Amino acid sequence: MDDISALMDGELDSHQAQRGMARLKDDSELRERWDLFHLIGDAMRHEQLLSRGFNDGLAKRLQEEPTVLAPRRSTTKARRVTTYALSAAASLSAAALVAWVAVTPNGPASLQAVAPASNAGPVQATAALASIPSDGRMNEYLLAHQGFSPSTALQGLAPYIRSVSATRPEGR
Amino acid sequence: MRIGIVVLLGLAGAAHGAAHGADIGGQGEAFTWLKKMASASRQQNYSGTIVYQHGNHVETSRVVHFVNAAGGEFEKLEALDGPPREVIRSNDQVICYLPSVKTVLIEERARNIRNFPALVPESINGINESYQLRKEDVDRVAGYDCQWIALAPRDNLRYGRRFCAELASGLPLRAHTMNEKGEAVESFAFTQLALGGAFSRERVKSKYADKSRSQNWRIDRSGLNPAPSTPADTGWVLTSQLPGFKKLMEAKRSLGGRSGTISQIVLSDGLAAVSIFIEPMPRAHPAQLLSHQGAVNIYKRPYGNHIVTVLGEAPAATIMQIANSVELRPVTATLQ
Repeated sequence: MDDISALMDGELDSHQAQRGMARLKDDSELRERWDLFHLIGDAMRHEQLLSRGFNDGLAKRLQEEPTVLAPRRSTTKARRVTTYALSAAASLSAAALVAWVAVTPNGPASLQAVAPASNAGPVQATAALASIPSDGRMNEYLLAHQGFSPSTALQGLAPYIRSVSATRPEGR
Repeated sequence: MRIGIVVLLGLAGAAHGAAHGADIGGQGEAFTWLKKMASASRQQNYSGTIVYQHGNHVETSRVVHFVNAAGGEFEKLEALDGPPREVIRSNDQVICYLPSVKTVLIEERARNIRNFPALVPESINGINESYQLRKEDVDRVAGYDCQWIALAPRDNLRYGRRFCAELASGLPLRAHTMNEKGEAVESFAFTQLALGGAFSRERVKSKYADKSRSQNWRIDRSGLNPAPSTPADTGWVLTSQLPGFKKLMEAKRSLGGRSGTISQIVLSDGLAAVSIFIEPMPRAHPAQLLSHQGAVNIYKRPYGNHIVTVLGEAPAATIMQIANSVELRPVTATLQ
């Protein structure tokens, strides 16, 4: 359990992270937990991927899992871990980022989004519209936009780094 | 030695411009620099290391740009930090190689868009309406002398920009995008640069080109639908128009990883561009979401059975305002 949240918080070095991923692959209970974390992440960001009874279920499960919404602040070193996500890629790395952005309180905006959910209120209604760092799922839009921007005409290929940018937590 | 002569010529040119005097605040001269930057980015051969910074995030890339004898443009960007990524541009095609997720993104551009007039600053009036141009100091970046050019926004609908253009070629060596407080929201800067050099196909080829084929990486293709002779009417309109922003392009297109046709409308004030994407509501039914990537703000909002995604190098408020003015044109309405 601790390992999984550490993995999500990016507190493991690449060696440990690989071991964590391997365990995830083998352990169905761990996987279930991992999935739950992602559903929470989605809920925080208002993705309506969830079943109707999810909010109730979430409230119940949250009471059993208080640590999910109050993860300890990662160490400076841990924040160096880079995650990369791509919209359609249902890879573990993509999933890890979703969880990271939503669950880790790395700024006032995400704290704000996390706090009300712990009251088990309707998750849907909680978030003020704070801007979150793009998690890579907008990359195709960025790529489709870039070619039409005069900035690209002025600066060449450099701005395309945005379209493939690795997302790293700010303020690491 | 050759570089020395070119720099001298450049300085002479600058001195000549200044001597005219009638150019208030160097506006005309600044605009000439802007045009020079655009043509240098297109025609100059160069290779170097560029640092991209936004927030506390710093990312270094290698950039190579070559023009072959036939005038074809070939460019490669290779991320040096974080997961390996490469972007290759050859003329009208941009290919992103993402080895960490074994994916290739391909963006095809319609041929006629490449030299889209509005993409390169054509008239000073267009830009002057939204920005105050100013020629500033000469500075030094990556070992080259460069000329600072500032574009201060005339309202809070857009960001300010500053470029330092290499004196001889005009290649921008530094570019900053500033918010209303004058803080940089995004910066690009060369830390090392070699100007010139001969075209070499190898240097603009991705090291993943063969691997991606032999290992069957996922390929996501995007591009404009074959262009009809007249601009596509997507059926979508903006109920209010923000000052300075004019429609640059309207088309139906495909977008990697998404099924079906998507409408894209591009607005620009001559410097910044904003893209509007409208697509059928996906099954996941996402709610509104505001995010950002450097100077680009992104706002997604549901609109009936559609989802509207607006993004561009403009403040979040501008992006949201544009997104909120998108409407499906009533059938009875006449053409604009």
